[in-house]
Order: sequence, then structure tokens, then C-alpha cells
Amino acid sequence: MTKILVVADIKEGVLKGSTKELLSKARAIGAKTAVVAVGSDIESLSADLADAGSDTQYIADDKSLDLFSAAPFTSCVVDAAKQFEAGLIWFGFSETGKAVAPRVAAQLDAACASDITDAQIDGDQITITRPAIANKVMQKIKVNTEQLVAVVRAGAFEADESISGTQNVVKLSAPEPDLKAVIKEVLSDASGEIDLGDADIVISVGRGVKDQAGIDLVKGLADDLTAGFGSSRAMVDAGLMAQNKQVGQTGKIVAPNLYMALGISGAIQHLAGMTGSKTILAVNKDPEAPIFNVADYGIVGDLFEVVPILREEIKKIKG
Amino acid sequence: MKILTTLKKVVDVELNINVENGAIIEDGLQYVMNAWDENAVETAVQLKEKNKAETTLVNIGGGDDNTKIIRKGFAMGIDNAIQIDDPALENSDPSIYAGIIQKVYEQGEYDLIITGKQAQDTDSGQTGIILAEFLELPCVSNVIDIEAIDDQHIKVSRLGDAGTEILEIELPAVVTVSDGINEPRLPAMRGIMMAKKKKISVMDLAGLGISWDELGGGSPKSEITEFMKSETRQAGQKFEGDAAEITAKVVDLLANEAKVL
Ligand SMILES: Cc1cc2nc3c(=O)[nH]c(=O)nc-3n(C[C@H](O)[C@H](O)[C@H](O)COP(=O)(O)OP(=O)(O)OC[C@H]3O[C@@H](n4cnc5c(N)ncnc54)[C@H](O)[C@@H]3O)c2cc1C
Repeated sequence: MTKILVVADIKEGVLKGSTKELLSKARAIGAKTAVVAVGSDIESLSADLADAGSDTQYIADDKSLDLFSAAPFTSCVVDAAKQFEAGLIWFGFSETGKAVAPRVAAQLDAACASDITDAQIDGDQITITRPAIANKVMQKIKVNTEQLVAVVRAGAFEADESISGTQNVVKLSAPEPDLKAVIKEVLSDASGEIDLGDADIVISVGRGVKDQAGIDLVKGLADDLTAGFGSSRAMVDAGLMAQNKQVGQTGKIVAPNLYMALGISGAIQHLAGMTGSKTILAVNKDPEAPIFNVADYGIVGDLFEVVPILREEIKKIKG
Repeated sequence: MKILTTLKKVVDVELNINVENGAIIEDGLQYVMNAWDENAVETAVQLKEKNKAETTLVNIGGGDDNTKIIRKGFAMGIDNAIQIDDPALENSDPSIYAGIIQKVYEQGEYDLIITGKQAQDTDSGQTGIILAEFLELPCVSNVIDIEAIDDQHIKVSRLGDAGTEILEIELPAVVTVSDGINEPRLPAMRGIMMAKKKKISVMDLAGLGISWDELGGGSPKSEITEFMKSETRQAGQKFEGDAAEITAKVVDLLANEAKVL
């Protein structure tokens, strides 16, 4: 029977939704499931981890794991993978997953795949699907090893709210710290903000908002809707938005229910990060802007005029 | 400091890419330097300008397109180039590339390896990290800032899930860089002229002292069996005209048709 180990996605002490999405898929495949959680002060999450759909919870809880460091994180995942005898090891889409998955694969001598959108298991044969070339094509990949380490694309698997697992905690010993790549500090510019990966609605600004005043205008709309607030790279390059707000091939990949692109042209590198959204609204003054090719609803107009009306109209219906 | 950077040619992602019968249609494709490798080259050259460093690039593959991107690397300021050209390399995966770069590294006593964080054709982002595992070197990925502390240490910032992570790394080490780290320079005319005269050290796998089998080439961990067209989204309804009217209409559709408000 296939065994799938999901690496828990924990941010600021909270279990992220992607963990349940991955476990839902694992259970739908009919696999035995386990989760591995790495961090500091996370033991209290074991019930949440079981609720998310895992039947074994490998937990590495140690002060030294407070700040992310790739090498010790890897050791914990490898430890859990060996104990569980995992066939598939899945990470949710995150910078942690992108940094750790190849290391785990190298240490287990397993195949590695980034950004998978589907996985099929037929007896011993694993086959996966993933986008490539900035989403312009899809690849079907046959895995020749018994083990596969993969990062799952944001939004690829849907959470099944009806599932839950059983609590069965296995404590992992604290790994050796990395003495050669020492994490000194983390400058957090996102605490208290809505996580782009979790938000139901994401609103992103592009060069069309021009300056801080434009950003503030759109931020008002985002606040009204408790939406995640993202950006194109042009705004990051201009120093107007933080790098961790960037949506796209280099930045976050998001798949919310509603994505609003305001003053964004729709370069393929931006599209690579948001076309998995359920519904897309674009506001752009150029009727030929490529963003309209992927938008379900398009408003051709000046966003400085449109955004205040959007706020008013939304307030009307939301009361 | 001796710096090694990696250089990959990738299909130009701005052009149309068509798929037929499970394969990409080669006709009409053009190849360019992987954008993140441009950032890696720029990083190496900037380190050289600020500190004393010798910069070498390694490129895997042959043909005019690879020569063209190597010349561009020279023109940007890279000192030396090594090209591994072997017909066996047609179907390579990240661990094969990593195995080759490992061999190049071992023959050159480098202090720092800089790769792009991913390649625009596969978007995999594995080679640099797997390389570090093979070499048992410290590795930091998704780097957005780098500075030399002394001959043996560098300080880097990486964009992580919790924010910007600041690390001190003991050399030798591997870093993979994001495009946020710099704006790659446009080579100046003088650089372009000089780049034409520079020698590229070309060798095949035997010349490098490794065989296809040693690289695991005969038994790849995974294989692409098919390319497919991406499911492209259809353009939906686009409204032009009076801003108040069309915006109210769209909000109504978002609420009552798409049901996302
Ligand atoms: C390797 C690589 C990786 C990249 N990764 C990413 C990535 O992850 N994410 C990303 O976003 N980009 C990425 N890019 C950059 C990408 O190619 C584009 O340059 C970028 O997305 C453009 O941002 P933009 O749409 O905000 O700006 P522009 O392309 O300049 O578009 C601005 C738009 O605003 C509209 N506009 C102007 N004024 C108004 C107004 N008053 N009202 C309404 N509309 C208005 C204009 O019509 C235009 O369409 C990457 C590029 C490379 C080479």
C-alpha cells in the first residue's frame, strides 16, 4: 500500500490549509498517511495535524528549529520518511518546500519534482503531471524510483473537509544545527498580514497604480474584503511593494477564489502565478492588455476612477 | 576568491510554444540565456568588482546557441568558460547536471558556486541544491542579497516563508540567486569585442573524466514521457464604457454569477 508523508506547512505557529489539501489527495488515492511537522513550540498542533487527515504525526519540536534552516529541516523530513517508509513525500508550495525537497531527494536517492499538479499511482508506478516553461506546457513524467519527493503546486489539490485522521504522535529527536550556513535573523515584513497563500481573495497591484497613493487606494479595497494584497514584479522593482508580495513565476503562486489584477499588463511570468485562480477580474486602461485573455471579467478603464466605485458597489452588496 | 557560475540555454519564453503529438515543436523556437543565470553571472561579476575574485562559468551543451550565451557571459565580465559538450547529454535531468558540475568544481578548487534559482524551461529549481548535497557543501537558495565578509565567509539574504532570512555562510558554498538580487548589465561594446577573442575550454564527458553511467545517465530517476498543451483560460466578458455603469455590472456578476463576493 502506498504511503504518503506530507510535510506540514506551519507559519507563525499555525497550520496552513495546504497540509489538509495534500492529505485529502493522499487519502483519495487510498494511501496510508503521515505528516511531519518541524518547528519550535508546535507540539500543541498534533490534534490539528490529525484533523487535517494524517494517521501518524512525526513531530520535531525544538528551540533550535525556531528559525528556518534548510539542513536541519531536511534531516527531520528524512528521519520521518525513513521511519514511515514513505513512498511519496509531499511538500505544499512554499519557499521551504522548494529549498528542502531537492535535499531530501538527494539524501534518499529519490526522484524529485517541483510544482506537481497531479499524481497517479498504478501499482508501483508513479506518474506525475507538472507545468513547465512558465506554464506554457504541461509535462507528464514517469518516475523510475520507488520514492518521489515533490512540491505540490498551490491550489492543485482540493481540501476535503469531511476527512480526519487519528492522533498517533512520534517524537523526532532534534537535528544537528547547520554550523556552516548559520541563520542570524529573520526580517519579517508580513506578520499580522493576510497570507497570500491562504486568502480567499487576492488583490494585486501593478505598475498602473503608479505610486504610494495608488497603492493606498487599492489597499483600502483589500482591507474592505480582508483580501491578501499582492503585487507584480514591476512594483517590487520600483521599491514600492515588498518582495514577498510578488505573485508570479518567481514569487508566490496563488489560487484564490477571486483574483483581482489592477494595473497589471499580464506578462507570462505574472500569469504563471495566478491563472489557477477560480475567478479573475482585471482592471486595465489598455483594452489590448494580455491580462484580459485570462480574466473572467474585465473592466477597461482608469483604475483611479474604477477602484472607488468598486469599493462603493461592493459595500452596497456586502452591507 | 574563485567563483563558479552555471549557464544554461533555455527556450525564449516570450515566443509561442506549440505542442504536437506529445512533443514540443522545435521549429521557430529561439534560445537565450536563462534569466536567473544572468542574475548569477551579474552576482559573480559584482563580487569580482568589489573584492578580488576570478570568475568562471560552466555551460553544459553545445552548438551555436550555447556559444552565444557563453560570449554574453564573457561580455558581462566573466573571466573563464568551461563547456561540457557531449552527445550523451541530450536528455539530462537535474542530478546529471549536478554530477557534471560537481566534477568541474572538484577540478577547480572554487570557493563559491552561484547558480540561478531555477531554469526558465523546466522551472524545476533543483540543480544547485542537489549539487550542494553531492558536494556536502552549505547551500542557501532564493538569495536576494550577497556580500563577502572575508575570504572564508559570505553574508546572504534569502526570501523565505517567514520573511527575509539573513545567513552567514562558511565557504566553499553554493548559493542559488533570485532575480531580485540585481539587474543584469547590458554588455558594453568593449566587452562584446573582447568576448569574441576569449577562449572557451570545451571538453566531453571523457575529457572531464566521468562517464554517462557514472552520472546515472543510463537509469534516470524520472523521464518526461509527454508534453501537453496547458489548459489555457478563456477570455471572459470585457466591459468598456461608463466606469460607474460597467463597474456596478461587474460587481453584480462577481456576486451573483461567479458567487465570489
Ligand atoms: C525571469 C523573470 C521572472 C519574472 N517573474 C515575475 C513574477 O514572478 N511576477 C511578475 O509579476 N513579473 C515577473 N517578471 C516580470 C514580467 O515580465 C513583467 O515585467 C511584469 O509582470 C510587469 O509588471 P506590470 O504588469 O505591473 O507592469 P507593466 O507591464 O508596465 O503593466 C502596467 C499595466 O498597467 C496599465 N495601466 C497603467 N495605468 C493605468 C491606470 N491608470 N488604470 C488602469 N491600468 C493602468 C497599463 O495599461 C499596463 O497594462 C519576471 C520577468 C523575468 C524576466
